[in-house]
Amino acid sequence: MRSFIKHNSLSLVFLTLFIGAIVFQAIAGHAVFNEEQDRHGDPHISLGRYITSSAFGVAVMENWQSEYLQFTLFVLLTVWFLQRGSPESKEVGREGRESDEDQLVGEHARHDSPRWARMVGLRRRIYENSLLIVMGTIWIGTWFAQSITGVTEYNSEQLDHHEQTVSWLQYLGSANFWEKTLQNWQSEFLAVGSMAILAVYLRQRGSPESKPVGAPHHATGVEG
Amino acid sequence: MPHRAAAATALAIVCLAGVACGADEQRDAAAVAERFHTALGRDDGRDACRQLSATAASTVKRQEEAPCAEAILRLDLPRGAVASKSRVYLRSASVDLAGGGVTFLNEGPAGWKISAAGCTPSAPDRPYDCKLED
Repeated sequence: MRSFIKHNSLSLVFLTLFIGAIVFQAIAGHAVFNEEQDRHGDPHISLGRYITSSAFGVAVMENWQSEYLQFTLFVLLTVWFLQRGSPESKEVGREGRESDEDQLVGEHARHDSPRWARMVGLRRRIYENSLLIVMGTIWIGTWFAQSITGVTEYNSEQLDHHEQTVSWLQYLGSANFWEKTLQNWQSEFLAVGSMAILAVYLRQRGSPESKPVGAPHHATGVEG
Repeated sequence: MPHRAAAATALAIVCLAGVACGADEQRDAAAVAERFHTALGRDDGRDACRQLSATAASTVKRQEEAPCAEAILRLDLPRGAVASKSRVYLRSASVDLAGGGVTFLNEGPAGWKISAAGCTPSAPDRPYDCKLED
């Protein structure tokens, strides 16, 4: 048990932080929702009702989709795009999918390489791109969920204000949908871009996200 | 079979998101709207007022300076109208009337109540023009 915790401490800490944050988001969001109910002279709803509502759903999904887009793009773009001096980047000259030998696949796989890395054909192709596939699928799924919960909440407000409702397709072209989407995308792109460039010049001793403290600024793809 | 499973899954996701899948809710909202307009049709102001939200009833009384049951009959609202289509999103609904016009409702502890009636479209992207509004 102790070694399980030690070997998985990073995941466990972030899982704990995630659970804490989403619980408190639900509590705060529930309070905000009922404040709005008061303004409209409508009755309060319970916390249980709130966390199954589209209001909570869209608030969660719009954030999840942008996080998974961030990782999808980061995984994809770092194959070909470089940032000299950044630990987040490959070294100059190594752009692209790299050789089978570098990637330890097929005949170049080690005895302890993942099974599908040792194979040829479709299964290896899938495994070679599995991180992108899963991240991308989760991104598309959560973006779809954002659009569904978003159109429900939007139309509920439209009816509250005695206005016309829109179809899901119309909602996809609406300012409401794109404002929710882009407000999250811009922060994700800024965060990744900042990390890529700041890590060229700044250090955090002991973190694999940083170069070693004494590594030169031009050193690329080096972990601390 | 895979297509049916995919379609069923998508529908389930959409329904869980609270989109207007609840046929019962649509029927309930339409029933309240029809009861309201039917009551107007037989000059039963008291029954018509029972279908209004508290705010809408209060607005009618204030505007017409008369009890709701009397004031509601003075308004030029569709009488005896039948619902043709309802839309429900979470706790808000709109009911299209067969003869034209829309009635808006909200769901509260006492069920569906009318928040606006005698509504017709105005300019695009603008609220409906309503003869009665909360």
